[in-house]
Amino acid sequence: MSGGDHLHVVTGDAIGDRRRAFGLWLVRGAGALVALVAAVQALDAAGVVGLGLGNWRPTLYAWVAFCICLCWGQVILHGEQGKRSLFVLPAALFVVSIVIFPLIFALGIAFSNWNLSSPDGRQFNGLDNLRQMWGDPFYWNALRNMVFYTLAIAVEYAIAFGLALLLNAQIRARKFFRVVFLLPLMLSPVAVSWMIGKSMLEARFGPMARFARWLGWENPSFFGTPEIARATIMVMDAWTYIPLMMIMILAGLQAIPRELNEAAEVDGASAWRRFWEITFPLMLPVSITAILIRIIFKLKLADIIINVTAGGPGGATDSVTSFIFREYRDRSNVGYGTLLAIFYLVLIVVAMTVLIKLAERWMRPRY
Amino acid sequence: MKVEIYNAIMRRQRMTRRSVLRGAAGLGAMAALGGVATGVSVRPAWAADSAALRAQILKIPGVGMGSPTDADWQKVGEMCLGPTRERVAQGEFAGVELTFMGLNNQNLHNFLFRGFLKPWEAYTGARINWIDLAQADYNARLQQSIATGTVDFDILEMGAPFEGDTAGRGLLDEMPGWVSEQIDESDLVGYLQPPVGTWDGKKYRVTIDGDCHTFAYRTDYFGEGAIGGPEVPRTWQQVNAVSKALVGKTDPLTGLPAHGYLDPLKGWGGFGFYFICNRAAAYVKHPDDPAWLFDPDTMKPRVNNPGWVQAIQDVMDLINTPGAYPPDQINADPGTTAFAQFLAGTGSMLMWWGDVGSSARTSDTSVVGDVVGFGINPGSERRYNHAAGAWEETYNEAPVMAYIGWGLYVTKRVSGDARKRKAAWSAAAHLGGRDISLWMSAYPSGFQPYRNSHFNYEEWEAAGYDRAYVEDYLGSNRDSYNHPNAAIEPRIPGIFQYYSVAEDELAKGFAGQYGSAQETADAIAAAWERITDQIGRESQIALYKASLGL
Repeated sequence: MSGGDHLHVVTGDAIGDRRRAFGLWLVRGAGALVALVAAVQALDAAGVVGLGLGNWRPTLYAWVAFCICLCWGQVILHGEQGKRSLFVLPAALFVVSIVIFPLIFALGIAFSNWNLSSPDGRQFNGLDNLRQMWGDPFYWNALRNMVFYTLAIAVEYAIAFGLALLLNAQIRARKFFRVVFLLPLMLSPVAVSWMIGKSMLEARFGPMARFARWLGWENPSFFGTPEIARATIMVMDAWTYIPLMMIMILAGLQAIPRELNEAAEVDGASAWRRFWEITFPLMLPVSITAILIRIIFKLKLADIIINVTAGGPGGATDSVTSFIFREYRDRSNVGYGTLLAIFYLVLIVVAMTVLIKLAERWMRPRY
Repeated sequence: MKVEIYNAIMRRQRMTRRSVLRGAAGLGAMAALGGVATGVSVRPAWAADSAALRAQILKIPGVGMGSPTDADWQKVGEMCLGPTRERVAQGEFAGVELTFMGLNNQNLHNFLFRGFLKPWEAYTGARINWIDLAQADYNARLQQSIATGTVDFDILEMGAPFEGDTAGRGLLDEMPGWVSEQIDESDLVGYLQPPVGTWDGKKYRVTIDGDCHTFAYRTDYFGEGAIGGPEVPRTWQQVNAVSKALVGKTDPLTGLPAHGYLDPLKGWGGFGFYFICNRAAAYVKHPDDPAWLFDPDTMKPRVNNPGWVQAIQDVMDLINTPGAYPPDQINADPGTTAFAQFLAGTGSMLMWWGDVGSSARTSDTSVVGDVVGFGINPGSERRYNHAAGAWEETYNEAPVMAYIGWGLYVTKRVSGDARKRKAAWSAAAHLGGRDISLWMSAYPSGFQPYRNSHFNYEEWEAAGYDRAYVEDYLGSNRDSYNHPNAAIEPRIPGIFQYYSVAEDELAKGFAGQYGSAQETADAIAAAWERITDQIGRESQIALYKASLGL
């Protein structure tokens, strides 16, 4: 314990050997218990021993007991310091319980042949699912579509920035417009799918189709060809999520000190120059954050596609998530569907890490 | 009866004092006739009782008297308890608890069952716990229960396509003989007779519903001087010819471009595959062969044989005929073709379940109103004989019994307890009874008529229904149900997986990503082979044969 910490210690801890031994025994004993119960359950599940345990609750109970003993043990072993760790430890254990464990189980499922309709149940099949994925044109097509969808964020960002600048300016009814521009974000993507994708864009009677005819497009079709269908999906998704980027950028704009712009104005800089030399560079951290969050949202794109095009025409609008949804839900292909999801998760984690590193490097020279 | 159909009838026939009196007089006459018949003819007494009972239950709450309520369901349940009383002593199941898993669609299904079974519970002493599921959650819940060995229900409401997943895995309890008698199984329409509901020769199902696709067409398109020609198309060849000939013409109702048959070209969670089946069945469902999707001996898909390829080619021909389909048809799923297109006045021919005709009259978005006619699935001028590997120049027709209909099943959980088992089957038999089923087919229940006795139009007329409409609505269903060459889907595990993957491949084919119809069909066949291998070929073969009764 450092000298500074003594300032915050309310009670002095005199931890004796017996107390320390009890603490160690408690934590190690609980750990051994959970390991033993889990091992026995595994043997039971594998049919080596026949205890007839119907479910994995005994292991769950042992795990909960271990978590409690671990927290208790911290206080016994470390006194006041142990109490401090109790502010974090339960939350950390909770995350481990509901994220890490399921992820480990998911990895087990991902390398299994498990079709819910198969009488043989789940069977480990090594790298077969990976091989299947490698040769699955539907999955690679969906991944390729995701690249297009993600690239569209550049345009969304430009629009969001423009709208944020407008809302940051001294315009009439500014507060009203700020609320109105946020409305699409408040709508469920499912509602957007039905209201816009299925009703307003309906090719014969939808108001957008009528408008397109009025503009001279003889047979308007918003989902008839791959390119137009993909573009329409992009527009609908953008319409929903541009407000999210806009509100983040707007918050950033409001944080820029007014003096900087005023000084530049006095120096005779044009509005265009002021934007590129002051506003845009100062907004970079916020912009990078907004874009990264938007990419994460975009990579999960599924609901609009499932409802409006079901991935069509011919897979042109399919996203990875909508494809996994079909594979998992419609075809009960749990093993393969899980592998696709895990692989996608790894891709996302790697891509986001690289992006964040790049963004950091990009911004460093300026600050 | 499906809610939409009931509403259609109600909207169509405004109840007047005269019509009510006429209905009441009809009922009285029927009851009197029944009484006379017992004395002077060989008609057994129970039949007369049954006729009187049927007339009475049809008065609850009365045609045009608003939607039935829980009190009405209980009343009907009480009145139809006769067969239960004959076989079960009062209080015989005291202390027995059963769990019933079913749907809660449109507040029907389980909601009705609760009401119907309340008097049954009071009489027998049993208690029922309910698991209500939305349709979208149903498949996942059932599959997960099966896969994880956590079947926690004794009575199950289930569609026949899932019999492979349940009966095929030995999860169901065999139906006792007395249940067949109680529900009068011989009264079921042709296609619901075994092998449907059976597995390896054993019966498992109390049928409570029927399903089939029927042909709906616009009557103003066909007839002397009409734009579609003098006759309603009878074959898929004619359907395609008319669809092409209509290009450039104007719809007589809407003034917009006229269109012919509306193929859904987009997937619909597997259900979209039924629509290519309608076309294909006419080509490939041979009267001498119950199989038409797979070879029962090898599970080799037939979906890429020349008959199926012709069906896919027919759709591609229309895709390649500019103007044959409405714009954006590539993005039209079955829901779109029926409700956004056909009912909104776009297109002139459609295949759908029984409710499109009634929606034509009830839906606010419908403009086709009284210009809808019905028929059975169009046939073909030639058919493909898979066994011989050759086309036969013989007319063929094969209505598709899409989804086969709901039934009640009892799970193995009760098999070890004789009293519980009898209780479960008694509850199922009560709901699948001959008389109570008439009420269900006549009032909103979520179920279609499925017994020959449901097509006794006099009963409907006596109850106050408009005879012409009822005959029109019921006729197309009856003709499809009882067709000798009805195409019944395989009740094997994972059947909707096959449909779902076929939808994906068809979507690619229709979008021009495959070189031909044959290539598209080959891709479906390859995907089906993979599913069969994954689920287990040998077990699929055995289960398919069992489902065909071979």
